[in-house]
Amino acid sequence: MRNNIMTRRGFTTALAATAMMPFLPRSAASAGRIVAAIFPNAWEDAYRRIIGPMLAEKGIELTLAPTLASAQLAKMMASAGNPPFDTLLMSPGQTAVAAENDLIEKIDPSRLSNWDQLDDAFKSEWGPIVTVEVNGIAYNPDAVPRPKGYRDLFENPAYDKKVAWIGFGSNTATMAYVQLASIFGKGPDDMDAVFKLFKDYLPKVGAIAESGSQQMTLYQQGEIAVFMASTNNVATLKARGVSCEFVHPETGSPAVPVAIHLTKGAANADNAYAYMDATISKAAQDKLKLPPTEQIPTNKNVEFTPGIEAYVTKEQLKTFVYLDWAAINKHRAEWTKAFDRVIKI
Amino acid sequence: MPFLLPMIVLSAVFFVAPLVLLAFISFTNSDGFGTLQNYAEFLSDDFSVSVLLDTLRLGAFAVAGTTIIGVPIVLLHWHSGRRMRHFLVIFILLPMLTSNVVRTFAWIVILGREGLINRSLIFLGISDAGIPLLFTEAGLVMALCQTELPLFILPVLAVMTRINRELVDAAEVSGAGPWRIFATILLPLSLPGVLAGWVLVFASATTSYVTQVAIGGARHIYLPQLIYREVGILFNWPFAAALSLMLLLVTGSVIFGLAMLSRNRRLTTHA
Repeated sequence: MRNNIMTRRGFTTALAATAMMPFLPRSAASAGRIVAAIFPNAWEDAYRRIIGPMLAEKGIELTLAPTLASAQLAKMMASAGNPPFDTLLMSPGQTAVAAENDLIEKIDPSRLSNWDQLDDAFKSEWGPIVTVEVNGIAYNPDAVPRPKGYRDLFENPAYDKKVAWIGFGSNTATMAYVQLASIFGKGPDDMDAVFKLFKDYLPKVGAIAESGSQQMTLYQQGEIAVFMASTNNVATLKARGVSCEFVHPETGSPAVPVAIHLTKGAANADNAYAYMDATISKAAQDKLKLPPTEQIPTNKNVEFTPGIEAYVTKEQLKTFVYLDWAAINKHRAEWTKAFDRVIKI
Repeated sequence: MPFLLPMIVLSAVFFVAPLVLLAFISFTNSDGFGTLQNYAEFLSDDFSVSVLLDTLRLGAFAVAGTTIIGVPIVLLHWHSGRRMRHFLVIFILLPMLTSNVVRTFAWIVILGREGLINRSLIFLGISDAGIPLLFTEAGLVMALCQTELPLFILPVLAVMTRINRELVDAAEVSGAGPWRIFATILLPLSLPGVLAGWVLVFASATTSYVTQVAIGGARHIYLPQLIYREVGILFNWPFAAALSLMLLLVTGSVIFGLAMLSRNRRLTTHA
């Protein structure tokens, strides 16, 4: 009987061995798997449900690491040479930083069997574009009238104390501010005009949130009725039964392609290619286009659903505003700091 | 000594070494050369200094709030019977059994325009449209007082259970009233616990990023938010390291001061 009792020394050894597992060389623990960074919540749920089983059929275990794009960059920078992810998921704002810092590498399209099914606009040397997020204004039709555009939010008293904004850490917000700079200033770089606008507007602001997900929480709680959003945000809220509609601003809808990138020194490069290939396949995008994600397909063989066409058609995609993120990134730090100084109580 | 070795090694590798690295990075510029520029930039920037002062003020408010709420609970525990004491301990510990993130999000529901407090105010006719609580410093302090309350109460309870009840009996026999007993016996003897509670609450409240962001919003900026921005958005790690070290030094100084007070024999043995 005594032989079955674990000794203190045995217990300590087992505990130490367990504690050391995360520090094992990745190759020892990574056969047949891929670690993919993914945006939290809706993206993570959809990829776990749709892409995970597709890779499992090929004997590849998909580990999704829910991480915001800026945090993906920070983690990559903190572990240069030994990336914590095999692939990243980013829009051009962060892609430019990742490429500049040598964190990602150009892909070999010949290793993707579904590459030719992508529309030419969605073939990037840094990796396949898996969807396009179209941005605009989300509003609650039960609480406020349908906004015409950004200007309306500042000039129509119906929106006083109802609109939420975020800082320049958010791509969605940054795109809105660039649009505002064109509307209220001399051009997209004239952010001083936006800061002046906000200085006067602050007593009427509904909320200035820290992140996009916080805005959605506030919207669900009835704290705000309008926020800058992507069509995916609106689809997510609608899927939860929340009353929410999307408006294309009269000055045009900013659009952001979202791409998967191969990290420099990825431990599972072969599996990363299999993951990218699965994500741009017709089979995957036929499911990803459905609620609650309603991701706009980039595979030209995938038809848009009526739900997506309510926001955007294939023809409209070409007319959206695609911003120069390299130019925006040059100013982003200074704009972030200036915005903090304007809004701080 | 051999039993302490694993703890010493773990502390050295996972606490001291990262701290030294952090300090080292804070004295470098983006090219990796040694400089005092990050500290000079922080101290010469009115915005950064105001963020630091706001962080300290938030910690002080949380300490004051938890003390005001916590002392009556502690006294109730002191005067209660055994069964009530068990109930109170469970009541105090209960919030700690849920994650801080969950507790914080519960406060969003409570403080919102449609939340419990505002609905009650409207129902009672105290306010017509409710009062703004979410994304205000008052709302943030309320949430922090609840989430940090066990950190104040538990050390005070631990100290009070060691107080000799015969001292109170003797004072009562000698004609001392409840306030005099509180001021001359209970308070001085429980002061080490109170100071320990203040240290824990202050340290936790000033560094509680999740609660500060979720309840305070983006317009109330405290040092943890500023550090997050520099790390995750601006990627200016040397400046983020300097900010982190400033936060550590300033909160550490307050904690050190309180710890020194708790060792003051005159103060804690007045009874």
